[in-house]
Amino acid sequence: MEIDAELLSPREINSQVKAAACEYDKIIIKNPNAKHYLIAGVTEDVEIELDGSVGYFAGSMCDKPKIKINGNAGWFVGDNITDGEIIVEGSGGDGAGQGIYGGTVIVKESVGSRTGEIMKNGTIIIGGNSGFMTGIFMMGGRIIILGDVGDDVAESIIRGVIYVKGEIKSLGYNAKLEELTFEDTLELEETLTKYGMDVDDYSEFKKIVPESTRPFYGH
Amino acid sequence: MCGIAGIVYKDKKLHDIGNDMTNMLHQLQHRGPDSAGYSIYGGTGLEENEYILKIQVKENEKLLKKVKDTINFLTPIKNDAILPSVGDSFIYKCKISLNDFSELKPLITKVDLIDDVIVINGSHDFEMIKDVGSVLEIADRYDVRTVKGTHAIGHTRFSTESGVDRYHAHPFQTYIVRDISVVHNGQITNYWKIRDPLERKGHVFETFNDTECLVHYIADKLDTGYSLEEALEQSVEDMDGPFSYIIGTPNGIGIAKDKLGLRPGVMAETDDIFAIASEEVSLREVVDTHHVEQISPGEVMVYEM
Repeated sequence: MEIDAELLSPREINSQVKAAACEYDKIIIKNPNAKHYLIAGVTEDVEIELDGSVGYFAGSMCDKPKIKINGNAGWFVGDNITDGEIIVEGSGGDGAGQGIYGGTVIVKESVGSRTGEIMKNGTIIIGGNSGFMTGIFMMGGRIIILGDVGDDVAESIIRGVIYVKGEIKSLGYNAKLEELTFEDTLELEETLTKYGMDVDDYSEFKKIVPESTRPFYGH
Repeated sequence: MCGIAGIVYKDKKLHDIGNDMTNMLHQLQHRGPDSAGYSIYGGTGLEENEYILKIQVKENEKLLKKVKDTINFLTPIKNDAILPSVGDSFIYKCKISLNDFSELKPLITKVDLIDDVIVINGSHDFEMIKDVGSVLEIADRYDVRTVKGTHAIGHTRFSTESGVDRYHAHPFQTYIVRDISVVHNGQITNYWKIRDPLERKGHVFETFNDTECLVHYIADKLDTGYSLEEALEQSVEDMDGPFSYIIGTPNGIGIAKDKLGLRPGVMAETDDIFAIASEEVSLREVVDTHHVEQISPGEVMVYEM
């Protein structure tokens, strides 16, 4: 099933995708042209491939679909998904995986700031670098960064874990480094190998966790 | 929310940059429906001492004569034209010569004193086109797609403060340093803290718009020996609030983004073009690449020819 998005509005594209998702196993979207809000709110177990870049909030509020974006994504890719998988072959903007409750958001290249902001569960994998305040207000789940991470990583984190293979510029409030365990390296290897993003030495990862689970109301 | 865009052709030759910028801004129309504008550099073809004035004049034959008389008293008008516009005013465009750039602002001040007359722009190396309405309406109204140049900046405005009219559309320019203009997405929250020392140094502010403050700030830095990159870096330190803005100069363009990264900015570059915009959808109009770089919080990028 193929949809040419060239002359369609985001609303028209999403309507067609939702209708097609009930009938087909795979949908290919041609010419997404970095439009905003594409594939928002799809709840079918369907494979969706976008042949190009997407704009803001791609895949927002989805549950179950497997989305592959053969280009870049703008701000807030995968915002608030509850299940499913989003793979961005290129780079991402700010807020990748913002607020996710479950599922997996993968950006193969670098992303902007505030990756995984207020995420509750699920997994975010960044193949390149992640910017300022990655994991801010994180409440669960895990973020895996293969490159470097910017200032104030895990700012005001409550729960969850962030793994960083590259350099950490600085930790945010309530964030601390914890020793990587053997189990962590096995988990990282299993997760990254699944997406063809395996690395040579898993022991190079640094692990960031909350200092306290009640940082604002007393320990 | 506003949309900003900038493009530089690296070969320094004239290109259909009015068309390019129109396409880039059209893709950012959703970020700002109120007004739109351009600064298109490198294609004016003026002699070293020549300047173009664009003046908003209320529909009134006597008023136009008064404008012409005021200018002719100071320096002869070399040629002129009337550009049809919307509302009850038109744009009077004329070419003049001055002995020195420092004479431009006093001349503009004299013209501005005439009731129902506003000088929109006075420049040597760039053409400023701005108005209320959509990008495509403005492009058609002023035949922007035919304007050639080496580089340009542009803007779609969603006004959050100050009026929605032609004068408050972006770009804004300064008369402290020749041919510096700015387009801006965001708010400068320590506006008065920035404006006050500049006014003490003699900068004349025409509006209460924070974008005007930005262009005065950068012009002041350039005037005191900063490079464009240094001036933009210093602005990131000195300005509070959410912002990303693009400066245009006769030599190129540069973007600065606030330290918290609260306003967007992306860049794409090829062997031929350097382009920046609020969103990738705009870059795709001029750059055929999937390699798009996010501009980080507090980051500055400059391309000068």
